[in-house]
Amino acid sequence: MNIAVSRDPATGWPRRALTIQWSVALLTLLLVVAPLGPILWQSFLDRPLYEAGAVPGFANYVRLFGDPDFHAVLRNSFVFAVLATVIAVLAGVAFTLFLERTRLPGRNLLRNLLMWPLYISQLVTAFSWYTLYGPAGYFTLLGERIFGVPLWDMYSVPGMAILGGVTQAPVVYLFCASNARMADATLEDAARSVGAGPFRILWSVALPMLRPPIIYSAILVFIGSLETLAIPLIFGRPVGIEFFTTFLYSKGLGAITPDYGMIGAAASLLLVIVTLLLVVQGLLLRRAGRFVSVKGKSQRPKRIDLGMGGYVVSGLLALYLLVGVLLPMAAVLLRAFTTFLTPLLSPFELLTLENFQSIFDYPVHVRAIVNSVVIAGVGGLVATVLIAVIALVIRRSSFPFARALEYVALYPRAMPGIVAGIGFFWAMLLLPFIGALSGTIWILMIAFTMRGIPTAYGAIAPALMQIGPELDQSARSLGADWWTAVTRIILPLTKPALFAAYTLLFLSFLKEYSAAVFLYAPGAEIIGTTMLSFWAEGEGGAVAALSVIQLIITLAFVLIAHRFTRTHRDV
Amino acid sequence: MSEVVIDNLGKHYGAVRALDDVSLHVAEGEFVTLLGPSGCGKSTTLFALAGLDRPTEGTIRIGDRVFFDAAAGIDVPAERRGIGLVFQSYALWPHMTVRQNLAFPLKLRKVPKAEQAVRIEEALALVDLTGLGERLPHELSGGQQQRVALARTLVFRPSLLLLDEPLSNLDAKLRHKARDWLKQLQRQLGLTTLYVTHDQEEALAMSDRIAVMQAGRIVQLDTPERIYRRPATRFVADFIGAGNFLPVRHVGHDEGGRMLVETGEGVRLVTAGTAPPGAGADLAVTIRPQHLRLSAAPIDDENRLTGTIVDRTYLGARHGYTVAIGDQRIQAESEQLFEPGAVHLAFRAEDTLLLDG
Repeated sequence: MNIAVSRDPATGWPRRALTIQWSVALLTLLLVVAPLGPILWQSFLDRPLYEAGAVPGFANYVRLFGDPDFHAVLRNSFVFAVLATVIAVLAGVAFTLFLERTRLPGRNLLRNLLMWPLYISQLVTAFSWYTLYGPAGYFTLLGERIFGVPLWDMYSVPGMAILGGVTQAPVVYLFCASNARMADATLEDAARSVGAGPFRILWSVALPMLRPPIIYSAILVFIGSLETLAIPLIFGRPVGIEFFTTFLYSKGLGAITPDYGMIGAAASLLLVIVTLLLVVQGLLLRRAGRFVSVKGKSQRPKRIDLGMGGYVVSGLLALYLLVGVLLPMAAVLLRAFTTFLTPLLSPFELLTLENFQSIFDYPVHVRAIVNSVVIAGVGGLVATVLIAVIALVIRRSSFPFARALEYVALYPRAMPGIVAGIGFFWAMLLLPFIGALSGTIWILMIAFTMRGIPTAYGAIAPALMQIGPELDQSARSLGADWWTAVTRIILPLTKPALFAAYTLLFLSFLKEYSAAVFLYAPGAEIIGTTMLSFWAEGEGGAVAALSVIQLIITLAFVLIAHRFTRTHRDV
Repeated sequence: MSEVVIDNLGKHYGAVRALDDVSLHVAEGEFVTLLGPSGCGKSTTLFALAGLDRPTEGTIRIGDRVFFDAAAGIDVPAERRGIGLVFQSYALWPHMTVRQNLAFPLKLRKVPKAEQAVRIEEALALVDLTGLGERLPHELSGGQQQRVALARTLVFRPSLLLLDEPLSNLDAKLRHKARDWLKQLQRQLGLTTLYVTHDQEEALAMSDRIAVMQAGRIVQLDTPERIYRRPATRFVADFIGAGNFLPVRHVGHDEGGRMLVETGEGVRLVTAGTAPPGAGADLAVTIRPQHLRLSAAPIDDENRLTGTIVDRTYLGARHGYTVAIGDQRIQAESEQLFEPGAVHLAFRAEDTLLLDG
């Protein structure tokens, strides 16, 4: 049976709803395929994809797997990812258990500090650790002076893994904490009634219950570790420890003639690995759903009292945050206002504003900051609107391919930033209408938007599903077509979720750098790429100053957003 | 013209038939109720009429406009049908005031601002809510919200009014009041109305005709009186609250041509009417609890039964009794007080109805 509703009997034109739904679906598909297609295509070609006469084959993959350098890349990447995941899970789970299941002294302060690395660009965090714990870092030199030998080596895979773990521990905490809050406290009471002490309860009852979110977030951290560019760029590349991302970076930007075939094959391989990990995660999550029972009844979980042990645990967690988050941030701040930082001299004798001058005296650097803010502010807004419409089509329309569209919209989770950057760069070489965007901030906005779809969709879609279907059905029966019903009725009711999505996109656009390294051009620099250039030139002070500027913008935005949601509770 | 013609409407998901060959003609100005338990297809029929649920076969026509025709591939979208639908949950938009809720359908129809104001006032007056236009939905009581939902539907003058259990969220007292008020309003406006409910009392009190639905089919379409007095099937009788079903066998006719049946215990009974067409020898006789007379001593009547009172419930003006007759249990009512134990029952042939067993 075929019911033709595609055309309006009055005008003969396709109906507005279907026109919008198809346009959005095709635009989403284009956003995702534009970078994906060229990479997969190039991986099979024996010469750059813009050259005529290329012959498809598997030669690139043969070359890639035959390259001993690439074997090291694979080994480094996986050892790093495994170690970083273990560290992030240990830290994230420890924080979950003690912050959510016990009456720990100072837990609100600890929780706020723990979340910091989520708001801060990994580039800034990596740089802050470099300032303190790098080979010429403040604490490294201090330790060397006291003990005669350097106590640690950040230019190593385990060293980098500690940093990777600390920056991603909040992810584990976020997923586990929401589960721990809903946990049934009577299970713990039962353990107590048979004689278990507080630590025994945490270990034997609370921890096993967290298994599903631990597995889920561990895979996310593993993917995040494979994707990270900042950490290996700052700590690995100087001593020749290459990761997947730096391998792509070096082959694409470091070489005089980029090896297109190798880049294509390596990027495709990374895409396949991450996609498979996401598929595994999806399967595990589906099985986990069977034995996780979330009760609708909200109950305030009873928290375990650790007694004096609580102060010890609190102190240990505080020490972790001090060493991992607070001191590095303080170091960046200090570095930004000094000519250099060394334990040999008091920083107060080295105070200067030169670092900021070296930024504000050059219009090109000011422009980078302006570009970043415009991309985050305007691009984030446009992206929010687009993703809201995508979510409406998927969740609140009779669009026949809604399910397929959801898969497409969520696929960018599997595309690391640097791979997306390479993909869009090649798309510009291939397609003239995208090529016209070359060297503008528009291509950056487009790439960031594509990368941001899953995040914003994750914020908007659940809110859409909480609104009863009769609210748009009633609008339809009163004479509104689909577009009028969803924009006049549904979107106004989703304002808080839209605002949350905008906040997430603003922050991620502001700190994004990895997707930009292949795409930026003179005139279209952003804070992240400028930091990388300063870094390459050894201008540590300027990097610190830019970090501080980015942190100030982030802080200002978070404060304004917080204030806005506080005063507009009903938005 | 707003006569509603539904013909052979069906909705199949694989082997499941949510709607099965539903045909229903509603005359202009008529009030027809779709009555049935949840899942019987009554709401699906209503939503198919509104254009919010797409059937897989059949046709829907209102006046001379075809809204749905599966064979011809016609499916007019909900927003172009001009049918008013009042939702069970009212579906008032929480971010708009009462006035904005009412203005929405008028704006969509590009009604000039001045006329909008007049029509909104009229609609609010019609539902006794004058002066509450600036309230937000959550600032109103349940009954007021229900009337706003109705006003929002009436304000654009729909050709047909669909009501999906509009009273089910009101408390019992308010429900009675709203029922009478709604019926009166419908008469006053002369609006063709299709009403969905699972409450047989509501259906009997309000409707010109009732369509009783079961498993996606209309099993009886009749006036409230006939539905009540002459339910066509045991399902309808049960749903309408007939209460007692006594399994019997058909044994013959008396000299007056009335049916003679025999209970499992061999007691012979005289019943009114005839067995439903196609029924075998196994039948059920229904008697409403209030038509059964109870007595401690044997009663001289054409239909007599003996049983044992096993339970008694105080109902206020009367007592309700559960009486065991053989392995059957039936409900009876009486103003008299009886103690548990043996009891005699009697009833008139014209108070009975024969149904297929």
